[in-house]
Amino acid sequence: MGELSLAIAGLRATIVTRHRDMLDVLHDRYKGFLSPGPADWRIEAEVRRAVGHRADDDVLVSRDGAAGRFVVTRADFAGTVALPVRRASVTFADANEYSIDSFLRILYSLALVEARGLIVHAASLIRSGRAHLFSGPSGSGKTTLARLSTDVTLLSDELSIVRISEGQAHCYGTPFWGELARAGDDSSARLGGVYFLRHGSRHAVNAITPRQALERLLPNVLFFARDPELTAQVLEIAADLIDAVRAFDLGFRPDPGFWEVIDRA
Amino acid sequence: MPEQYLARNSRTAWRVYDGEAVILRAEDSTLNTLNPVGTLIWEGADGQTPMSALVGRICAEFDVEPVQAERDVRAFVDKLCQRGLLSVTASPHEVP
Repeated sequence: MGELSLAIAGLRATIVTRHRDMLDVLHDRYKGFLSPGPADWRIEAEVRRAVGHRADDDVLVSRDGAAGRFVVTRADFAGTVALPVRRASVTFADANEYSIDSFLRILYSLALVEARGLIVHAASLIRSGRAHLFSGPSGSGKTTLARLSTDVTLLSDELSIVRISEGQAHCYGTPFWGELARAGDDSSARLGGVYFLRHGSRHAVNAITPRQALERLLPNVLFFARDPELTAQVLEIAADLIDAVRAFDLGFRPDPGFWEVIDRA
Repeated sequence: MPEQYLARNSRTAWRVYDGEAVILRAEDSTLNTLNPVGTLIWEGADGQTPMSALVGRICAEFDVEPVQAERDVRAFVDKLCQRGLLSVTASPHEVP
Protein backbone atom coordinates (compact mmCIF):
# COMPACT_ATOMS: atom_id res chain seq x y z
CA MET A 1 0.00 0.00 0.00
CA GLY A 2 1.12 3.53 -0.73
CA GLU A 3 -0.42 6.88 -0.03
CA LEU A 4 -0.29 10.47 -1.07
CA SER A 5 -1.88 13.58 0.44
CA LEU A 6 -3.09 16.67 -1.31
CA ALA A 7 -4.83 19.76 0.02
CA ILE A 8 -7.31 21.83 -1.94
CA ALA A 9 -8.92 24.90 -0.37
CA GLY A 10 -7.59 23.87 3.00
CA LEU A 11 -9.11 20.38 2.93
CA ARG A 12 -6.45 17.69 2.99
CA ALA A 13 -7.24 14.29 1.53
CA THR A 14 -5.01 11.24 1.79
CA ILE A 15 -5.40 8.76 -1.03
CA VAL A 16 -4.45 5.20 -0.19
CA THR A 17 -3.90 2.67 -2.94
CA ARG A 18 -1.89 -0.43 -3.77
CA HIS A 19 -1.47 0.73 -7.37
CA ARG A 20 1.91 2.34 -7.94
CA ASP A 21 0.80 3.74 -11.31
CA MET A 22 -2.07 5.59 -9.64
CA LEU A 23 0.30 7.19 -7.14
CA ASP A 24 2.49 8.28 -10.06
CA VAL A 25 -0.52 9.82 -11.83
CA LEU A 26 -1.59 11.59 -8.65
CA HIS A 27 1.92 12.88 -8.02
CA ASP A 28 2.22 14.35 -11.52
CA ARG A 29 -1.31 15.67 -11.81
CA TYR A 30 -1.50 17.39 -8.41
CA LYS A 31 2.13 18.31 -7.82
CA GLY A 32 1.24 21.90 -6.93
CA PHE A 33 -1.18 20.72 -4.26
CA LEU A 34 0.71 17.92 -2.55
CA SER A 35 0.55 18.45 1.18
CA PRO A 36 1.73 15.87 3.70
CA GLY A 37 0.15 16.05 7.13
CA PRO A 38 -2.92 14.96 9.07
CA ALA A 39 -5.75 14.28 6.65
CA ASP A 40 -9.29 15.62 6.84
CA TRP A 41 -10.35 12.92 4.38
CA ARG A 42 -9.19 9.38 3.65
CA ILE A 43 -9.84 7.93 0.20
CA GLU A 44 -9.21 4.28 -0.58
CA ALA A 45 -8.70 3.82 -4.29
CA GLU A 46 -8.72 0.63 -6.32
CA VAL A 47 -8.49 -0.25 -10.01
CA ARG A 48 -10.59 -2.97 -11.58
CA ARG A 49 -11.19 -3.13 -15.31
CA ALA A 50 -14.76 -4.41 -14.98
CA VAL A 51 -16.04 -1.35 -13.15
CA GLY A 52 -17.09 0.52 -16.29
CA HIS A 53 -20.50 -1.02 -16.79
CA ARG A 54 -22.57 2.05 -17.65
CA ALA A 55 -22.88 3.25 -21.22
CA ASP A 56 -23.57 6.91 -20.48
CA ASP A 57 -21.12 9.46 -19.17
CA ASP A 58 -23.40 11.03 -16.56
CA VAL A 59 -22.47 11.29 -12.92
CA LEU A 60 -24.94 9.80 -10.47
CA VAL A 61 -24.72 10.76 -6.81
CA SER A 62 -27.43 9.14 -4.75
CA ARG A 63 -28.01 8.75 -1.06
CA ASP A 64 -27.08 5.35 0.28
CA GLY A 65 -29.42 4.82 3.19
CA ALA A 66 -27.70 6.49 6.11
CA ALA A 67 -27.54 10.28 6.35
CA GLY A 68 -24.50 11.78 4.68
CA ARG A 69 -23.57 8.60 2.86
CA PHE A 70 -23.60 8.68 -0.95
CA VAL A 71 -22.95 6.32 -3.82
CA VAL A 72 -21.09 7.97 -6.69
CA THR A 73 -21.02 6.34 -10.10
CA ARG A 74 -19.94 7.18 -13.59
CA ALA A 75 -19.06 4.97 -16.53
CA ASP A 76 -15.41 4.86 -15.46
CA PHE A 77 -15.67 4.68 -11.65
CA ALA A 78 -17.88 3.69 -8.75
CA GLY A 79 -17.47 4.69 -5.15
CA THR A 80 -18.96 5.71 -1.85
CA VAL A 81 -18.58 8.92 0.11
CA ALA A 82 -19.36 9.02 3.83
CA LEU A 83 -19.53 12.63 4.97
CA PRO A 84 -19.92 12.01 8.74
CA VAL A 85 -16.66 10.04 8.96
CA ARG A 86 -14.94 11.80 6.05
CA ARG A 87 -14.03 8.62 4.25
CA ALA A 88 -14.44 7.57 0.65
CA SER A 89 -13.69 4.51 -1.39
CA VAL A 90 -13.58 4.33 -5.15
CA THR A 91 -12.83 1.81 -7.85
CA PHE A 92 -11.63 3.12 -11.18
CA ALA A 93 -11.74 1.22 -14.45
CA ASP A 94 -8.36 2.70 -15.21
CA ALA A 95 -5.85 4.79 -13.26
CA ASN A 96 -6.00 7.72 -15.64
CA GLU A 97 -5.94 11.37 -14.55
CA TYR A 98 -9.32 12.21 -16.10
CA SER A 99 -11.21 9.64 -14.05
CA ILE A 100 -9.33 10.49 -10.87
CA ASP A 101 -9.86 14.20 -11.42
CA SER A 102 -13.60 13.73 -11.99
CA PHE A 103 -13.99 11.74 -8.80
CA LEU A 104 -12.02 14.30 -6.79
CA ARG A 105 -14.21 17.11 -8.14
CA ILE A 106 -17.31 15.27 -6.97
CA LEU A 107 -15.78 14.39 -3.61
CA TYR A 108 -14.72 17.97 -2.96
CA SER A 109 -18.13 19.30 -4.05
CA LEU A 110 -19.62 17.21 -1.23
CA ALA A 111 -16.86 17.65 1.35
CA LEU A 112 -16.74 21.42 0.98
CA VAL A 113 -20.36 21.88 2.05
CA GLU A 114 -19.42 21.07 5.63
CA ALA A 115 -16.58 23.58 5.34
CA ARG A 116 -19.06 26.16 4.00
CA GLY A 117 -17.54 26.06 0.55
CA LEU A 118 -18.65 25.61 -3.03
CA ILE A 119 -17.03 24.66 -6.32
CA VAL A 120 -18.15 27.12 -8.96
CA HIS A 121 -17.82 27.00 -12.74
CA ALA A 122 -15.68 30.11 -12.77
CA ALA A 123 -12.26 31.44 -13.54
CA SER A 124 -10.64 33.15 -10.59
CA LEU A 125 -7.64 35.42 -10.38
CA ILE A 126 -5.89 37.35 -7.64
CA ARG A 127 -5.10 40.93 -8.61
CA SER A 128 -3.75 43.55 -6.22
CA GLY A 129 -4.40 41.26 -3.27
CA ARG A 130 -8.07 40.58 -3.99
CA ALA A 131 -9.64 37.62 -5.75
CA HIS A 132 -12.06 38.12 -8.63
CA LEU A 133 -14.45 35.37 -9.64
CA PHE A 134 -15.64 35.21 -13.27
CA SER A 135 -18.50 32.77 -13.59
CA GLY A 136 -20.26 31.35 -16.59
CA PRO A 137 -20.98 28.16 -18.48
CA SER A 138 -18.70 26.60 -21.09
CA GLY A 139 -17.98 29.03 -23.90
CA SER A 140 -18.64 32.14 -21.81
CA GLY A 141 -14.99 33.18 -21.90
CA LYS A 142 -13.47 31.97 -18.63
CA THR A 143 -10.27 30.65 -20.19
CA THR A 144 -10.03 33.59 -22.60
CA LEU A 145 -10.26 35.99 -19.70
CA ALA A 146 -7.59 34.10 -17.76
CA ARG A 147 -5.29 34.11 -20.80
CA LEU A 148 -5.72 37.86 -21.29
CA SER A 149 -4.87 38.75 -17.71
CA THR A 150 -1.35 39.74 -16.78
CA ASP A 151 0.06 40.61 -13.36
CA VAL A 152 -2.40 38.22 -11.76
CA THR A 153 -2.22 34.96 -9.84
CA LEU A 154 -4.26 32.27 -11.55
CA LEU A 155 -6.50 30.35 -9.14
CA SER A 156 -8.35 28.46 -11.88
CA ASP A 157 -9.60 28.97 -15.43
CA GLU A 158 -12.52 26.55 -14.96
CA LEU A 159 -13.49 25.46 -11.43
CA SER A 160 -12.95 27.78 -8.51
CA ILE A 161 -13.56 27.24 -4.83
CA VAL A 162 -15.12 29.82 -2.55
CA ARG A 163 -15.44 29.39 1.20
CA ILE A 164 -17.41 31.52 3.63
CA SER A 165 -16.06 32.33 7.06
CA GLU A 166 -17.30 34.98 9.48
CA GLY A 167 -19.25 36.77 6.78
CA GLN A 168 -16.30 36.94 4.41
CA ALA A 169 -15.77 35.04 1.18
CA HIS A 170 -12.34 33.72 0.24
CA CYS A 171 -11.41 32.22 -3.10
CA TYR A 172 -8.92 29.35 -3.38
CA GLY A 173 -6.75 27.99 -6.13
CA THR A 174 -7.62 24.57 -7.53
CA PRO A 175 -5.90 21.99 -9.70
CA PHE A 176 -9.11 21.68 -11.73
CA TRP A 177 -8.40 23.25 -15.07
CA GLY A 178 -10.25 24.01 -18.30
CA GLU A 179 -8.91 24.72 -21.77
CA LEU A 180 -5.84 26.37 -20.28
CA ALA A 181 -4.68 22.91 -19.11
CA ARG A 182 -2.77 24.55 -16.28
CA ALA A 183 -3.41 24.16 -12.57
CA GLY A 184 -4.15 27.18 -10.49
CA ASP A 185 -1.79 28.44 -7.83
CA ASP A 186 -2.23 26.89 -4.39
CA SER A 187 -3.08 30.21 -2.77
CA SER A 188 -6.12 32.17 -1.67
CA ALA A 189 -7.38 35.70 -1.22
CA ARG A 190 -10.43 37.50 0.02
CA LEU A 191 -13.02 37.70 -2.74
CA GLY A 192 -13.50 41.21 -4.09
CA GLY A 193 -16.27 40.64 -6.61
CA VAL A 194 -18.26 38.13 -8.63
CA TYR A 195 -18.68 38.77 -12.34
CA PHE A 196 -21.11 36.88 -14.56
CA LEU A 197 -19.63 36.65 -18.03
CA ARG A 198 -21.17 37.31 -21.39
CA HIS A 199 -19.54 38.15 -24.69
CA GLY A 200 -20.10 41.72 -25.82
CA SER A 201 -18.94 44.19 -28.42
CA ARG A 202 -17.49 46.40 -25.69
CA HIS A 203 -16.45 46.10 -22.08
CA ALA A 204 -19.28 46.90 -19.69
CA VAL A 205 -19.73 46.10 -16.02
CA ASN A 206 -23.10 46.59 -14.36
CA ALA A 207 -24.04 45.87 -10.76
CA ILE A 208 -26.84 43.32 -10.32
CA THR A 209 -29.13 42.69 -7.36
CA PRO A 210 -28.46 39.88 -4.87
CA ARG A 211 -31.45 37.94 -6.22
CA GLN A 212 -30.19 38.24 -9.79
CA ALA A 213 -26.73 37.21 -8.61
CA LEU A 214 -28.04 34.15 -6.80
CA GLU A 215 -30.08 33.16 -9.86
CA ARG A 216 -26.98 33.38 -12.02
CA LEU A 217 -24.65 31.75 -9.52
CA LEU A 218 -26.66 28.63 -8.66
CA PRO A 219 -26.65 27.07 -12.15
CA ASN A 220 -22.87 27.40 -12.10
CA VAL A 221 -22.36 25.63 -8.78
CA LEU A 222 -20.88 22.17 -9.24
CA PHE A 223 -23.14 19.93 -7.21
CA PHE A 224 -24.57 16.52 -7.97
CA ALA A 225 -26.23 15.15 -4.84
CA ARG A 226 -30.02 15.04 -4.91
CA ASP A 227 -30.32 15.49 -1.20
CA PRO A 228 -32.62 18.05 0.45
CA GLU A 229 -30.37 18.80 3.43
CA LEU A 230 -27.25 19.31 1.33
CA THR A 231 -29.20 21.28 -1.27
CA ALA A 232 -30.44 23.61 1.46
CA GLN A 233 -26.88 24.07 2.70
CA VAL A 234 -25.64 24.78 -0.83
CA LEU A 235 -28.31 27.45 -1.21
CA GLU A 236 -27.34 29.00 2.14
CA ILE A 237 -23.64 29.09 1.24
CA ALA A 238 -24.38 30.55 -2.20
CA ALA A 239 -26.63 33.20 -0.64
CA ASP A 240 -23.98 34.03 1.98
CA LEU A 241 -21.42 34.36 -0.82
CA ILE A 242 -23.68 36.83 -2.62
CA ASP A 243 -24.30 38.72 0.62
CA ALA A 244 -20.55 38.99 1.21
CA VAL A 245 -19.47 40.53 -2.11
CA ARG A 246 -20.77 42.74 -4.89
CA ALA A 247 -21.93 41.01 -8.04
CA PHE A 248 -21.83 42.29 -11.59
CA ASP A 249 -22.80 41.44 -15.14
CA LEU A 250 -19.61 41.67 -17.21
CA GLY A 251 -19.83 42.06 -20.95
CA PHE A 252 -16.41 41.78 -22.51
CA ARG A 253 -14.61 41.35 -25.78
CA PRO A 254 -11.34 39.44 -26.01
CA ASP A 255 -8.83 42.08 -25.00
CA PRO A 256 -7.41 42.97 -21.57
CA GLY A 257 -9.30 46.28 -21.36
CA PHE A 258 -12.00 44.66 -19.23
CA TRP A 259 -9.80 45.21 -16.16
CA GLU A 260 -10.18 48.97 -16.60
CA VAL A 261 -13.97 48.80 -16.34
CA ILE A 262 -13.68 46.44 -13.38
CA ASP A 263 -11.34 48.85 -11.62
CA ARG A 264 -13.83 51.67 -12.17
CA ALA A 265 -16.86 49.68 -10.97
CA MET B 1 -65.92 25.51 -3.45
CA PRO B 2 -64.41 23.26 -0.77
CA GLU B 3 -61.40 24.67 1.03
CA GLN B 4 -57.92 23.64 -0.08
CA TYR B 5 -54.51 23.77 1.56
CA LEU B 6 -51.12 24.22 -0.08
CA ALA B 7 -47.87 22.64 1.07
CA ARG B 8 -44.37 23.29 -0.16
CA ASN B 9 -42.32 20.30 -1.32
CA SER B 10 -39.97 19.61 1.60
CA ARG B 11 -37.24 18.66 -0.87
CA THR B 12 -36.71 22.28 -1.79
CA ALA B 13 -34.49 25.02 -0.43
CA TRP B 14 -35.48 28.63 -0.82
CA ARG B 15 -34.65 32.18 0.09
CA VAL B 16 -36.50 35.48 -0.40
CA TYR B 17 -34.75 38.58 -1.75
CA ASP B 18 -36.67 41.87 -1.90
CA GLY B 19 -39.98 40.01 -1.83
CA GLU B 20 -39.02 37.53 -4.54
CA ALA B 21 -38.36 33.87 -3.74
CA VAL B 22 -35.54 31.85 -5.28
CA ILE B 23 -36.34 28.13 -4.99
CA LEU B 24 -33.95 25.25 -5.58
CA ARG B 25 -35.37 21.75 -6.02
CA ALA B 26 -33.22 18.97 -4.56
CA GLU B 27 -34.22 16.28 -7.06
CA ASP B 28 -32.78 17.99 -10.10
CA SER B 29 -31.33 21.32 -8.87
CA THR B 30 -33.85 23.21 -11.00
CA LEU B 31 -34.21 26.83 -10.10
CA ASN B 32 -37.46 28.78 -9.89
CA THR B 33 -37.88 32.46 -9.17
CA LEU B 34 -41.22 33.87 -8.09
CA ASN B 35 -42.60 37.40 -8.32
CA PRO B 36 -44.00 39.10 -5.17
CA VAL B 37 -47.50 37.60 -5.61
CA GLY B 38 -46.07 34.13 -6.18
CA THR B 39 -43.78 34.58 -3.20
CA LEU B 40 -46.74 35.49 -0.98
CA ILE B 41 -48.43 32.24 -2.00
CA TRP B 42 -45.22 30.24 -1.57
CA GLU B 43 -44.57 31.61 1.91
CA GLY B 44 -48.17 30.90 2.85
CA ALA B 45 -48.04 27.32 1.56
CA ASP B 46 -47.45 25.92 5.04
CA GLY B 47 -50.05 23.17 4.84
CA GLN B 48 -52.16 24.98 7.43
CA THR B 49 -53.33 28.18 5.73
CA PRO B 50 -56.42 27.77 3.54
CA MET B 51 -56.09 28.89 -0.06
CA SER B 52 -58.95 31.35 0.47
CA ALA B 53 -56.88 33.14 3.11
CA LEU B 54 -54.02 33.50 0.63
CA VAL B 55 -56.44 34.94 -1.94
CA GLY B 56 -57.59 37.39 0.73
CA ARG B 57 -54.01 38.46 1.46
CA ILE B 58 -53.36 39.04 -2.22
CA CYS B 59 -56.47 41.21 -2.54
CA ALA B 60 -55.38 43.18 0.54
CA GLU B 61 -51.80 43.73 -0.60
CA PHE B 62 -52.26 44.05 -4.35
CA ASP B 63 -54.87 45.92 -6.36
CA VAL B 64 -56.88 42.95 -7.62
CA GLU B 65 -60.49 41.76 -7.39
CA PRO B 66 -61.22 38.52 -5.45
CA VAL B 67 -62.54 36.62 -8.49
CA GLN B 68 -59.50 37.53 -10.56
CA ALA B 69 -57.16 36.80 -7.62
CA GLU B 70 -58.64 33.34 -7.07
CA ARG B 71 -58.36 32.52 -10.76
CA ASP B 72 -54.72 33.65 -10.81
CA VAL B 73 -53.86 31.74 -7.64
CA ARG B 74 -55.35 28.50 -9.00
CA ALA B 75 -53.44 28.84 -12.27
CA PHE B 76 -50.23 29.56 -10.39
CA VAL B 77 -50.74 26.66 -7.99
CA ASP B 78 -51.40 24.29 -10.91
CA LYS B 79 -48.14 25.38 -12.49
CA LEU B 80 -46.12 24.86 -9.30
CA CYS B 81 -47.78 21.48 -8.71
CA GLN B 82 -46.74 20.41 -12.22
CA ARG B 83 -43.18 21.45 -11.37
CA GLY B 84 -43.28 19.36 -8.21
CA LEU B 85 -42.93 22.35 -5.92
CA LEU B 86 -46.38 22.40 -4.28
CA SER B 87 -49.04 19.91 -3.30
CA VAL B 88 -52.73 20.59 -2.66
CA THR B 89 -54.83 18.80 -0.03
CA ALA B 90 -58.44 19.02 1.09
CA SER B 91 -57.51 19.21 4.78
CA PRO B 92 -54.70 20.87 6.73
CA HIS B 93 -51.47 18.95 7.18
CA GLU B 94 -50.97 17.56 10.64
CA VAL B 95 -48.48 19.52 12.67
CA PRO B 96 -45.67 17.13 13.71
